[in-house]
Amino acid sequence: MAEHTLEIALAAGVLSPLISFWALVLFGPKLGKPVAGWFGVVFGMGVPLACATYVLFGWMDAMNAGESAALTANAWRGTWAVLGDVPITIGVKLDSLTVAMFFMVTFIAFWIFFFSVGYMSGHSDEVAGQRKYWLFFAYLSLFAFSMLGLVVSSSLVFLFIFWELVGLCSYLLIGFYFDKPVPQYAQMKAFITNRVGDFGFLIGLMLVYFHLGTVDLDEAATVFAQQAASGTGIFASHFTMFGWSLATIMGVGLFCGAMGKSAQFPLHVWLPDAMAGPTPVSALIHAATMVAAGVYLVARVFRLMTPDALMFVSLIGCLTLTLMALVAVVQTDIKKCLAYSTLSQLGYMIFGLGSGAWVAALFHLITHAFFKAMMFLGSGQVIEGCHHEQDMRKMGGLWKKMPVTCITFLVGVLAIAGTGIPGTKIGLGGFFSKDEILAVSYARAFEWEDPERFEEEHHGDGGGHAEVELTKRVLLASDPVQHDNDHAETAHSDHGTDSHAAGVGRIFANTPALPKWMFYLALFTAYITPFYMMRAWWLTFMGKPRDDHVYEHAHESPMMYIPLAVLAVGTVFASYFLFRPLIADAATAGSAASLVMAIDGTVHTPAIMAAHHFLMYGVGGAFLVGFLLAIAIYRNGLAVGDKLKRALAPLHTLLENKYYIDELYDIVFVKGFLLIAKIARFVDTWIVDLIVNLFAAAAERFAAFCGLILDKHGVDGVVNGVAKSSRDFGHIVRLPQTGQIRHYILAATGVATIVFLCVLWASSGANDVAMAATTASLGR
Amino acid sequence: MTIGLTHYLIVAAIMFVAGLFTMMTKRNAIGILIGVELVLNAATVNLVAFDRYMGPDRLDGQITAIFVIVLAAAEAALAVGICINVYKNLSTVDVDRANSLRG
Amino acid sequence: MTNTKHNLTSCLLRLVVAGGGVLLFSSQAAFASEASGVTNAAAPGGLLEAALFYFVALVAVVSSLGVCFSKDIVRMAVWLFGALGSVAVMYFLLAANFLGAIQLIVYAGGTLILLVFGVMLTSKSPWVKFECPKIEMLFAGIICAALLGCLCIVLTDATWAGTMQVVPGASVEAIGKILITKYLVPFEVAGVLLMIVMVGAAHLARQDD
Repeated sequence: MAEHTLEIALAAGVLSPLISFWALVLFGPKLGKPVAGWFGVVFGMGVPLACATYVLFGWMDAMNAGESAALTANAWRGTWAVLGDVPITIGVKLDSLTVAMFFMVTFIAFWIFFFSVGYMSGHSDEVAGQRKYWLFFAYLSLFAFSMLGLVVSSSLVFLFIFWELVGLCSYLLIGFYFDKPVPQYAQMKAFITNRVGDFGFLIGLMLVYFHLGTVDLDEAATVFAQQAASGTGIFASHFTMFGWSLATIMGVGLFCGAMGKSAQFPLHVWLPDAMAGPTPVSALIHAATMVAAGVYLVARVFRLMTPDALMFVSLIGCLTLTLMALVAVVQTDIKKCLAYSTLSQLGYMIFGLGSGAWVAALFHLITHAFFKAMMFLGSGQVIEGCHHEQDMRKMGGLWKKMPVTCITFLVGVLAIAGTGIPGTKIGLGGFFSKDEILAVSYARAFEWEDPERFEEEHHGDGGGHAEVELTKRVLLASDPVQHDNDHAETAHSDHGTDSHAAGVGRIFANTPALPKWMFYLALFTAYITPFYMMRAWWLTFMGKPRDDHVYEHAHESPMMYIPLAVLAVGTVFASYFLFRPLIADAATAGSAASLVMAIDGTVHTPAIMAAHHFLMYGVGGAFLVGFLLAIAIYRNGLAVGDKLKRALAPLHTLLENKYYIDELYDIVFVKGFLLIAKIARFVDTWIVDLIVNLFAAAAERFAAFCGLILDKHGVDGVVNGVAKSSRDFGHIVRLPQTGQIRHYILAATGVATIVFLCVLWASSGANDVAMAATTASLGR
Repeated sequence: MTIGLTHYLIVAAIMFVAGLFTMMTKRNAIGILIGVELVLNAATVNLVAFDRYMGPDRLDGQITAIFVIVLAAAEAALAVGICINVYKNLSTVDVDRANSLRG
Repeated sequence: MTNTKHNLTSCLLRLVVAGGGVLLFSSQAAFASEASGVTNAAAPGGLLEAALFYFVALVAVVSSLGVCFSKDIVRMAVWLFGALGSVAVMYFLLAANFLGAIQLIVYAGGTLILLVFGVMLTSKSPWVKFECPKIEMLFAGIICAALLGCLCIVLTDATWAGTMQVVPGASVEAIGKILITKYLVPFEVAGVLLMIVMVGAAHLARQDD
């Protein structure tokens, strides 16, 4: 394969949406209603999809030929600018993760673009009195450009630039109907919340820039590992905050960005509100791609994370996945329910990354992108078909009217619930990915031996390693061969996992075990997820119609269900066989040499093996429990659900109000800000003004005194006299002031000439005539 | 027959005086502007001539001339703008009639 | 002069022809001056250069006088064009090639067009004349003649300390360098000034709403 072909294809895929964006901005209004949309579909996403497919196959070939490592190493990169001593690099990150993400994004986005054409044909394109059909596709194209650029960037700075761009696109698209108050509020909320996270990202980026001296992802990781080994650079700093070292703060800072974009627990508030945007936008940006960018970022900077930082990541992920899943249970708005489900699943990914399940988390990212995009499109179809009715309580029985939507949605539900047959390789994407995350977290929580004791046992020379420093890394298993032999008898392929030979992970000497409650929460949520998803599906499509008006008008249109069907097929087939190997391949480079052990869930370390045995049925059967429970409750409509709601009223209220976090923010930040403003105003009115007024009063008194005694009798006489005389003088002087430029020039030149003549006459004959003349003219 | 500094200075002087005369005798605002341009040009010629003859390696005169040209361009743009405004308000560019400030 | 027969088109045509002529002439002069610049180093004060100078000086003087004596504003503009063009050629003769180019671009290309536009925008007909009182003309003439006389006396009497011939000019590069080193601040200030002027001109010339 010719050199750099893949990079060029990737770059073409990134730039094509940009061209589409400009073309639509410049000529969009002329293209008219359907044409602009199709233009966006073809150039905004069709071309990138073609490029992505080409790259995917090219990359597969390279992998089979064993050339992929060389391609990664030789991927194009250059220097964009030099800031101080640090070159700001620009380049294409070419590895399996990029290829997988690129293909995933283009594939899903293409079908969502396609869906958008159908969606927009049924929606008003009037914003603030102007027709903005073209603008919608221009924004979508810009988003595609930014997202693909983010995936492809090899330097953190460009990652950040595209990061901000996707944030901007999200802002623009949520508030596409900006003349309505709700989207307007939602877009602001999304942008401001993201800003909080991006601030952390910026701090992390500055620390990377300052302490690692490079912004290239790979170089930064290498430098970080070196510094960790030698205790120099960022590890030499004694700065701590909240008990975190500077290196940890760097990792946490970078993660803060991900917390904003991926809507993790304290910053999650924007995502449900973002559902005020058009449904394709929710599907593309707020379910499949942009929110996944945070997870992608964490995966990319995984090697810059210290154990403490990753523990924080786990904590946040764990909180998010549990709390949001519970909220999803009580949602009645179909889109909001999906939004909370997205939050919960993102929590899973972040939790997985924090626990070291690098492969599983990214695999979950990709499988989730497929089925969640599909479900959002399905909900869009439902909302569209039901005349903008989003309340699931008013739906029901729609399967007769929308069979395709019903079935595809069910596929999504099964996938997110992790449906599969335990002990076999039969199952949907979520089955493998979620199980793997849980298995790894189980291993980290229960089977994790105290690292130092572990080390002594396995190396037999614990004395030598007694003074293991914080930064020292040792191999988990010093002898992979022996390690494999130990478990040769258990090397089977149960539970849908492959047995990879390379069973070496790295462990950071002080990596602590995961708290057990985290695993329990994640496991518990694995039972919640199928429940609320099945509840949503059942309420929407099954049972009896609860609102005749909605039911009668329900319909579906091919423009909208074709993408659904395609994505459903993708969900069923593509995930495990296509993406799992790709990501596993990326893991060798993407998480190698990191300070924390990245655990490949399919590698049969003793801990993982035990976890698999334990979880095989515990998790594998979770979906059945959840489904059956949901069906049992909602089989006959809402009656049982309402009874439960009354029985658990306090809990229900808490969940329905989303733990009062919005209210808390309102009180702490919004009201707090107003309070500060009020205090400032108080100080201004009562203290500053008081002083000023006192001075003013004093001055007034003094002035009154002066005016009475001195002014009237003493000063005024003089002033009036001067005024009168100057007025008389002015009258005289005014005479030559004709107000005509000519006369002024004439006069000025005349005077100058006369002076000139005088000087000439005075110094006639002298040698320094010229000098005198010059002096004279200068003097004037 | 050597062309010296004086030659240039005399040409410049003639242009200068011609410019002054234009400014004194024209009632058209644009005519006055043209006179100003002539005067500025004469000054620039002086600057360049002195630069070339007195200190050929210093360039100060040429740089000053460049600034003069820049200022002249700026001044012309503004002056024409003012003329147009005057024309809008008074329907003429006769400077004799633009005397409302005279009081 | 039968001004009434003139119309704007013919006048503009004449303007363009005159401008083209000056341009052509000045470009030839530029080549000539370059050539003479080379010969200058060997034999200063070549006859060719002198002849060229006198010709250009004649053009400049005649054009200047044309400016001040023509009554017609459009004619004044055309005469000014001649004066500006001849000044540009003078710069070439002085081996200040960069300034010559600037002169042609900024003055002949920009300022003059601006003036012509000003003329067209502010005249009910392009040949409006406002006569100045004869007495003022007389005063102005006397003063100007006196001033010119003084200047000529001073100039011819003066002895100058510098070299008495043109040396080959400094390169554009040198000008550029000095402009962003020694003269950086005036340079920036000039940039700011231009911006202010741009805003100001746009503001002055805007349509009233």
